[in-house]
Amino acid sequence: MNNITGTIINYYIHCKRQCYLHYHRINLEDESGLVKIGKALHERHNTEEIEIDNIKLDKIKGEFVTEIKKSDADFNASRFQLLFYLKKLKEKGVIKKGRLTFLEKNKVDKKNHEILLDDSSEKELEDIISEIKILVSNSTPPAIEKNNKCKKCAYYAFCYI
Amino acid sequence: MGTKYILSKGELHRQDNSLNFKNSNGNNYIPIEGIDEIYCLDEVSFNTKVIDFLSKNNIILHLFNHYEGYSGTFYPREKYMSGKAVIKQVEAFNEKRELIAKAIVLGIANNIHEVLYHYYRHGKEELKEFLDWLKDEMPKKLENSNDISEILLTEADIWYRFYNSFSVFLREDFVFNKRVKRPPDNPLNALISFGNTILYTKTMGQIYQTHLDQRISFLHSPQERRFSLSLDLSEVFKPVIVFKTIFDCVNNRKLSVEKHFDKNLNYCLLNESGKKIFLEALESKFNETFKHTTLLRNVSYLKAIKYDGYKLLKYILEDFEFNPFSLKEKK
Ligand code: SF4
Repeated sequence: MNNITGTIINYYIHCKRQCYLHYHRINLEDESGLVKIGKALHERHNTEEIEIDNIKLDKIKGEFVTEIKKSDADFNASRFQLLFYLKKLKEKGVIKKGRLTFLEKNKVDKKNHEILLDDSSEKELEDIISEIKILVSNSTPPAIEKNNKCKKCAYYAFCYI
Repeated sequence: MGTKYILSKGELHRQDNSLNFKNSNGNNYIPIEGIDEIYCLDEVSFNTKVIDFLSKNNIILHLFNHYEGYSGTFYPREKYMSGKAVIKQVEAFNEKRELIAKAIVLGIANNIHEVLYHYYRHGKEELKEFLDWLKDEMPKKLENSNDISEILLTEADIWYRFYNSFSVFLREDFVFNKRVKRPPDNPLNALISFGNTILYTKTMGQIYQTHLDQRISFLHSPQERRFSLSLDLSEVFKPVIVFKTIFDCVNNRKLSVEKHFDKNLNYCLLNESGKKIFLEALESKFNETFKHTTLLRNVSYLKAIKYDGYKLLKYILEDFEFNPFSLKEKK
């Protein structure tokens, strides 16, 4: 699972097509400006970004690994991304808890969420990783999922043109 | 999205986090925010510091000689790379070259039809025969073409008939009856050559933002030029961007044969003020926006070029039908 990243996990849950394209390095210029906001945000909040193998962790402090997201638009995608980091650390013998922080909350009730890598979530994560491996080995990308989330996606023009 | 044209001789320097162009009039600061490409249309000297700076800021540099001749492009290190896309593009070249080439030729015909139909509607009935040919006969001929050389012959036929139609609606002092490319020998040829080159280089800048390999082309032979895919994708935009701008500049008397061209026994070129007027007109055409039928967003003609790149990418990755830009995409 060395070429699987937190972003790929996140995208898989968000949109399988986005996941496939990103995995194959088809990264198109974002025209909505959202990626830029995301980058600026990371620059402001993460003076302590840490890189282990090919994963970038926003912050490790005490017993917590924190992942900061602009919005809670896709809670589950962010959750599995963080679970993936926890699992990576666990493989290195480092056991941590996760904290998910949303700067803007619209859908969920609070800004901070504790995320734990327990047996059942670890199993779910492993299943997702096997599904991703099958997905990306297909010769063509999965079909477009026409949906509201597309409007904010960097692949919008590519998918809809 | 921004383009900076340098029209006079001078020196380009890096100054702190920006650029400075020095010419006989003094210093001209070029703020680099929002600039994607710089055109040097006369002798400009610069050093590797400038090149390194442009590269870091992802700015493309197009170089021309004093005689409107295109010399080459400095291209920042590839920022997008996908092994999968390259492999698929080569496969498409081997297996579907003719299909893609036909789609492009059909696209040229559709856009020429659309542009000329405007004049037909305004009383130029002599155009009817050509318009009918574009709609009926030409597509049949294309359909029956089996190899790339036949497709190219049909394409040449379209352009030939298009040039011949100019006498119907273009101001007389600009009309010509033969197309000479290098060096252009009359004002109209000069405009066409220069306009097409600007479009070609602009297309390179757009393809740079997609995952397509600039060297693998379909209508043109990949050996033709280093970035022959730009030749391919720029074709359907020629009538829409280059020719519409030329017709407008000529018929609305923005350009005059006496004032804006340098003439010599063997060639004819735009002078500096002519270049300025024409480039401004072209630039505003590239930036003109329209509401797109499927994207439901405002799209400029320049972006439409990039989106044709996306369409081609989608075709080679997942077999979506490839229909190059048509004026019908305007809502
Ligand atoms: S535009 Fe929609 S379908 Fe396409 S990748 Fe983005 S979310 Fe998925």
